[in-house]
Amino acid sequence: MLLTTHATRPTVTSELHSRILALGLILAGVFVFLHKAITLDYPIFPDETRTVWNLEILIEFAADNRPVRIESFLPAKSEDRELVDEQFYSGPFGLRLDQEGENGNRKAIWTYRYPEGPKVLRYRTTLVEETRDTPLPPEMQRENRGGDVLFETSLERQAFLVWMSNLRRQSADKETLVDLMLQELFSTNLSDEVAALVRPLPPPLDRLELARMVLETQGVPARIANGVILDDARRRAETVSWLEYHLNGKDRRYFTLGNPSVFFPLWYGLDELVDADGVTELSTQLSLQPSRLAGGSGAASGLGNDDPLLSLFSFDKLPLTTQLVYQVLLTIPVGILILVFLRQFVGIQTLGTFMPVLIGIAFRETALLTGLLLFSLLIGLGLALRFYLERLKLLLVPRLAVVLVFIVLCMAVITTLTAESGVRIGLSISLFPMVILTMTIERMSIVWEEYDAAEAMKQGLGSLAVASLTYLAMTNSQVEYMMFNFPELLLVIMGLCLLMGRYMGMRLSELRRFRDLSRPE
Amino acid sequence: MRPFFPSLAELNRKGVMGLNERNLRLVTELNPRHLMRLVNDKSITKNLAIAAGIPTPELVGTIRTSWDMRGLAEMLARPGGVAIKPANGSQGNGILVITDPVAGGYRLANGQRITFSDLRFHVMNIRSGMYSLGGLPDTALLEERVRFAEVFDDISFKGVPDIRIIVLKGVPIVAMLRLPTAVSDGKANLHKGGVGVGLDLTSGVSRLGMQYNGLIDQHPDTGNPLMGLKTPFWEEMLSMAAQAYDVTGLGYLGADIVIDADRGPLLLELNGRPGIAIQVANRFGLRAHIEPVLARDTSGMSVAERIAFGQEVYLSVHAPVSAS
Repeated sequence: MLLTTHATRPTVTSELHSRILALGLILAGVFVFLHKAITLDYPIFPDETRTVWNLEILIEFAADNRPVRIESFLPAKSEDRELVDEQFYSGPFGLRLDQEGENGNRKAIWTYRYPEGPKVLRYRTTLVEETRDTPLPPEMQRENRGGDVLFETSLERQAFLVWMSNLRRQSADKETLVDLMLQELFSTNLSDEVAALVRPLPPPLDRLELARMVLETQGVPARIANGVILDDARRRAETVSWLEYHLNGKDRRYFTLGNPSVFFPLWYGLDELVDADGVTELSTQLSLQPSRLAGGSGAASGLGNDDPLLSLFSFDKLPLTTQLVYQVLLTIPVGILILVFLRQFVGIQTLGTFMPVLIGIAFRETALLTGLLLFSLLIGLGLALRFYLERLKLLLVPRLAVVLVFIVLCMAVITTLTAESGVRIGLSISLFPMVILTMTIERMSIVWEEYDAAEAMKQGLGSLAVASLTYLAMTNSQVEYMMFNFPELLLVIMGLCLLMGRYMGMRLSELRRFRDLSRPE
Repeated sequence: MRPFFPSLAELNRKGVMGLNERNLRLVTELNPRHLMRLVNDKSITKNLAIAAGIPTPELVGTIRTSWDMRGLAEMLARPGGVAIKPANGSQGNGILVITDPVAGGYRLANGQRITFSDLRFHVMNIRSGMYSLGGLPDTALLEERVRFAEVFDDISFKGVPDIRIIVLKGVPIVAMLRLPTAVSDGKANLHKGGVGVGLDLTSGVSRLGMQYNGLIDQHPDTGNPLMGLKTPFWEEMLSMAAQAYDVTGLGYLGADIVIDADRGPLLLELNGRPGIAIQVANRFGLRAHIEPVLARDTSGMSVAERIAFGQEVYLSVHAPVSAS
């Protein structure tokens, strides 16, 4: 039927063909989506989930044919804390688990006799976050009578006694004494006694350890916890250290930088997360990502994974860093969909076809307002240079190169200036796409010369408006959540684009363009 | 008063077509991509036209390599002046017209002076692809300068008036005259503020005009009425445009023609995706002209038959006007 009509009425066939294809894609996407949402009870909104986190420790190093021993702390298990779905990727390495180490730590120990070349070790698990109300283990909750002063040299003991007597004089009870001690310890100007006592460790462990020792002498059980702050998903999470102690019947935590609402301790004590022997170029990467599947402790083990249809569409088995990349990648089609709509139905003029979406992706690094400011600033500077270069009569490609180098230079200057003034945009600028900026400048200057400044501004502003819209859509948490957990929606987007590809009606801008034609004569 | 948004019903009644519809129904459907090369590259178009006996401005030379650059001064010395164009340019971008040499350089058509080194730089920009589609390296084309006939002097401001004829499946369906203005800097480009004037397809007599998509009936600079001017060589131009279809095989074409004072009408270039502003110049949508032609099989028709058919369709939409 399709083939026979093809010979005679090509328009009708391609029309019908694309409609059938679009309908098929949309139906398939919607079917899988509904199957997951209704039959398998996947939550549709991100806030329906109780947050469960996927944690990954990735250790990369180069080995040189020498015996290698890598020790890494793992999150500790306890009665209140459950680790689901622990996975080790060890390659040829031997793996031993040290379940009951000092301070209640757990350790994985990887060993291999003659490794060669670059190696990767990986650990993954799913865990529940902790908050400030999470109780400390029972052995931490027994206050005792206090211990001896632990300092070795007489100078230290002297300084300690002076400091403590000062603190005792200035405080009313043990609780205010501890508060005062911590406040003094983490203020910028240390008194001489405190400076003499600070432990020879990297900050902030030097002061945390001193605080812990002081608490011990006061009979307050205390420990140093190392872990990650969960307030935001990051590709690379940094480990931070804090102090946990129990005073006057209450569990307390002291964070040196702000007070996070959710966090997770990984290990206790003064050691580093990973300890390696016999390797070079060691790099450790911790990543965290909120997991959708929750609503029960066992849910994170992967609801739909038994369903063969769904395992095709699930990103659960990928490494976390890759998952985070996909979380961003999957939102890009949504931005493209908006762009197609704005071009085919509204008729907004932009510089370059997909340029606005690329700019929108770049805004991810900077957030919207700073992104817009930076972008306009850099375009302005670049255009000024471009008009100056016009006088020098350079060939096209070298001229583009000069503009690009200039853009990098401007970015470097902006970063340094903002870093000095303490504004944070400097850090986020790093990956701002210079090539896109350079091409935008070139196109804009050509439009400027061939038409006029107004036309160039119109197209530039059009691009920025579309970029902002796509950025807002692509970073919307609901969109991010839906696209990542229901990637079958890509089929729906594809179908919609197919349908829009056959839209023959007027664009909104054309209605305005032809407005004079619409007056009856 | 100009309404902010028009009535969709009225636009539909007049059969006004948008870019989406043009792209889908005309360009994609009737212009196979591999044939677009024939009109995108002006040097190919020129060779095709010469082979078919369609008159075009004479080619002075092409500059493709740096070796060719050595001949630039000699080519520019041609008496009567030359036009420098990017072979793959679009919308008239990158075109420079030189009238004659002056002290320290050359005079441009708009009266300004340009130095030889500036000209070399312009040619280098053309070659590096600044004006070509997709930024691909390009060739610079040097053609004899057309000395425009004086017919449209009353309604032109400096520069180059030209005639655009839309040809659908070999049938000329609508035409307009494009006039340069002060704002368009001597170019007859509608985007840049040139004036478009609808032409009666049967006689070549001018009707009312448009600028920036607004309706006008006088030239904005000279103030002379646009209506009622007879275009000379009209039948010849229609047949040049209709022939362009046989030469290229493109079903939806815009033929751009200028009138030289000595040589008569010359085919300047062909356009494989001609714009839709011509609807405003003609005060009517394209659909009424297009539907009867699309419904008819034109493959066996001669040039004369196709012209007659196009005029018949035109008369079913527009009343003829007579020269004043």
